[in-house]
Amino acid sequence: MSEHIVTAYDAELDLLGRKIAEMGGIAEKMLSDAMDALVDFDADLARQTVAADPRLDHLQREIEQSAIQTIARRQPMAVDLRDIIAAIRISADLERIGDLAKNIAKRAIVVAAEARLPRAIIGLKSMHENAALSLKDVLDAYAQRDVERARAVWLRDAELDALEDSVFRDLLTFMMEDPRNISFCTHLLFCSKNIERIGDHATNIAETVYYLVTGEELPVERPKGRSYSFEQTQPPT
Amino acid sequence: MTLYDTRRRKNAIYVSLCYAASVFGLVWLAWILCALIFKGSAGLMPATFTQMTPPPGSAGGLLNAICGSLIMSIAAVALGTPIGILAGTYLAEYGSGSKLAFVVRFINDILLSAPSIVIGLFVYQIVVVPMGHFSALAGMLALAIIVIPVVVRTTEDMLRLVPNQLREASTALGLPKSMVIQRIAYKAARAGLTTGVLLAIARISGETAPLLFTALNNQFFETNVNAPMASLPVVIFQFALSPYADWQRLAWTGALIITMTVLALSITARVLGRQRIKS
Amino acid sequence: MSPTNGAGANRSAKILVKDLNFFYGDSLALKSVNMSVYANSVTAIIGPSGCGKSTLLRVLNRMYDLYPKQRAVGEVLLDGDNILAPSQDVNLLRARVGMVFQKPTPFPMSIHENIAFGIKLYNKVSKSELDGRVEKALRGAALWNEVKDKLHASGLSLSGGQQQRLCIARTVAIEPEVILFDEPCSALDPISTAKVEELIDELKEKYTIAIVTHSMQQAARVSSYTAFMYLGELLEFDETTKMFTSPDKKQTQDYITGRFG
Repeated sequence: MSEHIVTAYDAELDLLGRKIAEMGGIAEKMLSDAMDALVDFDADLARQTVAADPRLDHLQREIEQSAIQTIARRQPMAVDLRDIIAAIRISADLERIGDLAKNIAKRAIVVAAEARLPRAIIGLKSMHENAALSLKDVLDAYAQRDVERARAVWLRDAELDALEDSVFRDLLTFMMEDPRNISFCTHLLFCSKNIERIGDHATNIAETVYYLVTGEELPVERPKGRSYSFEQTQPPT
Repeated sequence: MTLYDTRRRKNAIYVSLCYAASVFGLVWLAWILCALIFKGSAGLMPATFTQMTPPPGSAGGLLNAICGSLIMSIAAVALGTPIGILAGTYLAEYGSGSKLAFVVRFINDILLSAPSIVIGLFVYQIVVVPMGHFSALAGMLALAIIVIPVVVRTTEDMLRLVPNQLREASTALGLPKSMVIQRIAYKAARAGLTTGVLLAIARISGETAPLLFTALNNQFFETNVNAPMASLPVVIFQFALSPYADWQRLAWTGALIITMTVLALSITARVLGRQRIKS
Repeated sequence: MSPTNGAGANRSAKILVKDLNFFYGDSLALKSVNMSVYANSVTAIIGPSGCGKSTLLRVLNRMYDLYPKQRAVGEVLLDGDNILAPSQDVNLLRARVGMVFQKPTPFPMSIHENIAFGIKLYNKVSKSELDGRVEKALRGAALWNEVKDKLHASGLSLSGGQQQRLCIARTVAIEPEVILFDEPCSALDPISTAKVEELIDELKEKYTIAIVTHSMQQAARVSSYTAFMYLGELLEFDETTKMFTSPDKKQTQDYITGRFG
């Protein structure tokens, strides 16, 4: 993109982009560390992961503040405006991804204390691979302003939903096999939910990238991958 | 008939009246010019510019009158312009709001419209009478007194047209006021100031009355400013009223020369004025 | 007034205005104004028409001296010296505190002479040194590339935006310490405005800058500190980011949000 006449403006926008990239890196690392801690019953790594979260929160605040200042001072228009709105939205998504990873890490600490049934975690691992790939792709798509890649991430979320569905059924089976698994599996169940949510946030980011580049929104309805419906599994409320 | 038609008809009437009035004015001007060219060009020959004014009945030219006019006009402008520009500068740059400036401006305006014969009479009283004889010097002085108010007026007007921002901008560079005026204001008003001087020259080159009382006339070529000196307007005045055909013809030629000179000066002033507006 | 949240306390005040009152004849145009202009930063003065912002600016180089009926009472300290003191040489003051005006005001001479004029006022320089300084000033005003082939054309032949940058170059050429901008972009189109704003941003590295502007957006864009004036009073003075995101006073908020009643 060509440069602004006012160079300080470019510097501000560049800084926003770099901070998003840094947040993305931290979020990716937190997710993979949390999953490693969960799989390897590594409580230390889990604690380190929890400790990484404040930096992410801090960065998000910074991005929000400088975005507000840039809006107030530069009166951004068109692509610049979308750039800044995108930075605000993406930083919020990344911050949530960090929170969810932190939650997985916290559960990993508990799970490590009574390590049982490692085979129950295998399903989660494939969910994680899927979500981590989406996150990486969508961050690349943001960095390169790549609409097609963003769109691919957006479509791919259906797979993650399907995976969560099968993990849900697996864990249900383990719990029915042996009631002593219930506590362990419930933690895993929450972890799977967290990973699925991370995928949702990656999708949100994909939508934001799409908007940032094209100025248009992706459709509200996205192809769904669930085979079950909530009516079947949830108690009536 | 609709209101609009009435309006259109009225408009047509007014426009044709305006045209008629312009044509009426222009006709006389054109007539004068034609008469001048027709009658004056007959005497327009090399001898006119090389020979002295002749006695009645013999051939001659206007050399002494042309030179006299040139000498006295140049001297009057040389004398009147600096005074006029300085006074105009005072009015525009220093005197704004002061009582003295008000009085000076008022007197200047009176002087500007004073009949030139009054000025001639005045110089006659204070110069010619004490000296005991007519002289070119007195003529120059009388013409200079006519030049001054014209230059004062144009200088003040032109300096006032210089945008104040330009003065503030040069002041902001640390220029003292005198330098702001000399280096910036005069430069910005240069074309206007030149126009003023040209208009003053045009004005005095046709003046007869003040010269009659002061420089009088001289049959011969004269460069001594202490002696009477010939000038075109006075020669025209004298020759035109004479019964001699030769003299009358020379008078027409002189009139043509003056008119053309004034015309050229006016056109130059116009052109310069237009440049100022463009910049 | 110091920035209310204490920010800026670590910066040195190049100009300190203390209890400044200003009169046009008998009418009071500035009411005990106190503020600082910090060194090497841009301070914007905003406020509705007639609030006294231009008046304040014109006190800082004593431009009001040109008009006999205007007078200032109080203290304006430039590096600690009171410039309102009668002993202050106003021409030397104006060499230290340059000013750029609302309308571009190139002098009726060539581009080169427009710049050289000011330099020659203060320095005896050789022709080659003069040319060098003219070039430096024009480069400093980001105008060199546009005019280097027509240095001897009239300054009036340039476009409005170029003329304004020529005026900035002229001011920069005499190497002042402070540059005052009096609505420098109100006669310019958006692109020229952006160029002048970029220039101001660069100039703050070397100079202390105060700018009066009708456009609060412009104040937001170019300044580090903003002063809000209303009816001759300085109502709020703070860091620009603070002023434009969460001002302390309600009047300030109403003005910058376009709710002024």
